[in-house]
Amino acid sequence: MARGVRGWLRRATGHWLPRAGTLDDGEVVISQRRVFIVPTRAGLGFALLLAVLLVGSINYMLGLGFGLTFLALSCAMVDMVHTYRNLAQLRLRQGRVAPVFAGEEVQFELQVANRTRLARYAVRADFADMREPRHVADIAPGVHATLTLAVPTATRGWLEPGRVKLSTRFPLGLFVAWSYWRPAARALVYPRPEDGAPALPLAGGSGSSLRAAGSDDFAGVRNYQAGDSPRQMAWRQIARLDPDIGGALVSKHFEGGGGEELVLDFDALPTSLDVEVRLSRMTRWVLEAESRALPYAFRLGAMQLAPASGAAHQAACLRALALHGLKDAP
Amino acid sequence: MKLFDTPLTRDKADTLLLLASAVLVLAPHTAHLPLWVSLLCGATLAWRAVITLRGRRMPKAWVLLPVAVAAMAGVQFNYETLLGKDAGVAMLVLLVAFKMLEMHARRDLFVVVFLCFFLALTNFFYAQGIGTALLTLASVFMLLATQLSFQFTGVVPSLRTRLAMAGRTLAFALPLAVVMFVVFPRIHGPLWSMPGGPGGASSGLSDQMSPGQMSNLALSEETAFRARFFGRPPDRQQLYWRGPVLDFFDGLTWTRGASQASGRDLHLAVGGNATDYEVTLEPSQSRWVFALEMPGELPKVPGHALRISPQFELTSDTPVGQRVRYRATSYTGYALQGGAVLDDAGRWLLLPYGFNPRALAAGRALRRLSEPDARVQAVLAQFRAQRFEYTLAPPLLGRHTVDEFLYATRSGFCEHYAGAFVFLMRAAGVPARVVTGYQGGEINPLDGYMTVRQSDAHAWAEVWLAGRGWIRVDPTAAVAPERVRRGLDASVPRPAPFGIEALRGMNPFQREGNPWLLQLRNTASALNNGWNQWVLNYTPERQSDVLRGLRDKLFGWPFIGLLTGICLLVLLARFFRRRKEIHPIDALYSTLCKRLGQAGLARAHDEGPSAYAARVAGAAALAPQSRDAAMEFLRRYSAWRYAPPAADPRLKSTLKSLLSQVR
Repeated sequence: MARGVRGWLRRATGHWLPRAGTLDDGEVVISQRRVFIVPTRAGLGFALLLAVLLVGSINYMLGLGFGLTFLALSCAMVDMVHTYRNLAQLRLRQGRVAPVFAGEEVQFELQVANRTRLARYAVRADFADMREPRHVADIAPGVHATLTLAVPTATRGWLEPGRVKLSTRFPLGLFVAWSYWRPAARALVYPRPEDGAPALPLAGGSGSSLRAAGSDDFAGVRNYQAGDSPRQMAWRQIARLDPDIGGALVSKHFEGGGGEELVLDFDALPTSLDVEVRLSRMTRWVLEAESRALPYAFRLGAMQLAPASGAAHQAACLRALALHGLKDAP
Repeated sequence: MKLFDTPLTRDKADTLLLLASAVLVLAPHTAHLPLWVSLLCGATLAWRAVITLRGRRMPKAWVLLPVAVAAMAGVQFNYETLLGKDAGVAMLVLLVAFKMLEMHARRDLFVVVFLCFFLALTNFFYAQGIGTALLTLASVFMLLATQLSFQFTGVVPSLRTRLAMAGRTLAFALPLAVVMFVVFPRIHGPLWSMPGGPGGASSGLSDQMSPGQMSNLALSEETAFRARFFGRPPDRQQLYWRGPVLDFFDGLTWTRGASQASGRDLHLAVGGNATDYEVTLEPSQSRWVFALEMPGELPKVPGHALRISPQFELTSDTPVGQRVRYRATSYTGYALQGGAVLDDAGRWLLLPYGFNPRALAAGRALRRLSEPDARVQAVLAQFRAQRFEYTLAPPLLGRHTVDEFLYATRSGFCEHYAGAFVFLMRAAGVPARVVTGYQGGEINPLDGYMTVRQSDAHAWAEVWLAGRGWIRVDPTAAVAPERVRRGLDASVPRPAPFGIEALRGMNPFQREGNPWLLQLRNTASALNNGWNQWVLNYTPERQSDVLRGLRDKLFGWPFIGLLTGICLLVLLARFFRRRKEIHPIDALYSTLCKRLGQAGLARAHDEGPSAYAARVAGAAALAPQSRDAAMEFLRRYSAWRYAPPAADPRLKSTLKSLLSQVR
């Protein structure tokens, strides 16, 4: 029954709370109006205990029994205020959200800052639809904690995280206070790069031999970029790097194909393939071309990009692929 | 000890804390529990401690179950029930101890803590003194600290910090609890009768008297009741607190006669000085209620219905199991059954056949005096003239108790005198009876309450004289006037502790002597009385008094004014605190922006200090000197704002001086 009530409460608050539907932009302070508080199951047990203590005191006319009963009740009331204060006046700010490829997890960064003089303990955080919060933070006065909430992705496009719920039962566990926060952040999910995609569509028949010579032309390592395939990673170098001195993932970098004209044209792909498969293939090609530093032209529907390479070009292409055909693409 | 070489893990420390608070809750129960229960609990808790410290596994259920069943059987054997109050407490104590060995989830912690709260309450069945209250407060403190410790998920602060947190909770809770204690509506219990309700032997006056035996009441320092006088307390000689009236003498023992219920009309006329007072009767488990001779009307005792017997004894319908408070008004002048004839005079003249022949003869001889009053005075004069000794340790008497007392031993205390006097009076044909009760009382100068102790128990006589009614005659006063004027201590030396004469000076209850001890005793008594009056016996009647007083005090302009003032102060404090939240250097920056804005160079909302500085640099509206100062200000501000925090103590003053140059 408790679960039913809780579910009902969750649905009900989700509806009528004006804040629940709107996005919270920028820094949000958990004000008094944003904190909800109800007794926990242990709190209900405590209420039962108080009733028993009171009846015992009345029945046996125990003057001190009344004292104990009221002291216990007062402690519970003070606990209620403390639980509320453990959450109130925290400042929430969303951190960066890096784009990911479908199938990976988006990492939403959430910064919880405590600018008060009160140390906060055992603050749980997770998306509201999770049954058990996965993250717990203790936030000392004047510092901020960074929580990373992971959301699995399946399809490309914009991913909007649900409401984030911060909750706490500290200090006595008799009450649970919580607050919702709907970050304005959304994550861009690129299409999943196709596994085993055909080779890059280099122009001309001679291109393939050239490519074969050039693509194996190991030219050193560069920093890892999202989407690099594990086969391309410079594992030897990664293993050598000491993570303590800021070791980063690196990928092998190949030279070759200079002067080639590479055009990645969505319409050139066989229409017998599903749109998503074609988008996947394009994604793989973009990554591959980028990893080889081949300038590539990009055509997707009305979008025509001149041959280029580099992070900005790649991002523009991937973004176009991610949002292709979606209604709310900005 | 290798035990504490390594720091304890968090789980272990928490469990030990829980054990400590359980020990604190269980310890006072050992005073009333059977020894084996205490030992079993101690062993169980020690076992749990060893398990925790050594990192052993908890015992399996099949180990615990037989022990628990055996313990239950033991309780059944010990108390012959499992349901009564005492048996229930014993079961609860065992339950808490065993639950310690069977804790797995966090839920179990709450179960143990809640059970401990309940056990703390049950301890009040047995003791409700100030010490118990302090111990319970300490237990609650430890329980809070324990419950708090289990709530941490990551960082766990030091034990001291956690204790401080629990202390803070308690400090906030205590005033709230006091307010609730005062205003929470009280009702008269019990709601229903609980099994094994108020029990235990009754204490205080008994309703029989055997002058041959020693009464242990005389030495008991226990408080019988306390009285508070509204006005000047009467003289000590007038302080006769009336209790059971004994009329039937079988030769050895005076008892209340069988025909007590015979409904005769009671005639009482009162006059003289009225004394208003309030009595707080200690629980005695007996039905007697005491008032000064003679109360004008029946006092109202909350929770009890009072009855008055034809002998003017006050009794309650139920034994006094709780402290009760009642007000009464008594008069020094009174006439009880003051008519010309006494209907049941024969009853007050009965004497046992075949006892005390000498006293009987002496009494008959008094009949030659025609006036009954003269016979009374003759016996009293006899008591005064002969060398009677007042002592609390008289020799034991044989068959003819009155004869032996009057003509052989001549030493005894109030019971002997009252008994012998009534015997003589009856033999002389004057209706007479023994009245027992308390005489005297000790005023505590600290709180003005008069304490009447069991050692103030007294027996005196009443004789009936035609036209005057029942007259109080205290033969003890004739023998040992000190006993009535100054109390027991003045009339007999108290026995030395353990019968060792050298220790006499150490008797802490010696009322005379060491003034420092007297002071201490008065303080303790006043403290105890205040506790009883305000905490233990805070009845619905007292509550309505207090609330009425509060209402009269609070609903006035001074209080409302004070309240408004406090609210204003709080609001002001909040306002200033909010203002302080802006960093002083940011405040300087916003002043600069305002000033530049007046010069036509308002900062755009999305403009950072550097961009702003660039715009200021190109502005012609400012004087060059002012512009340079503004740019320098912005440069420093930007450096401070975005650089890693490097403490420059002079930054604020530098910025201020730069700001003053911007016009």
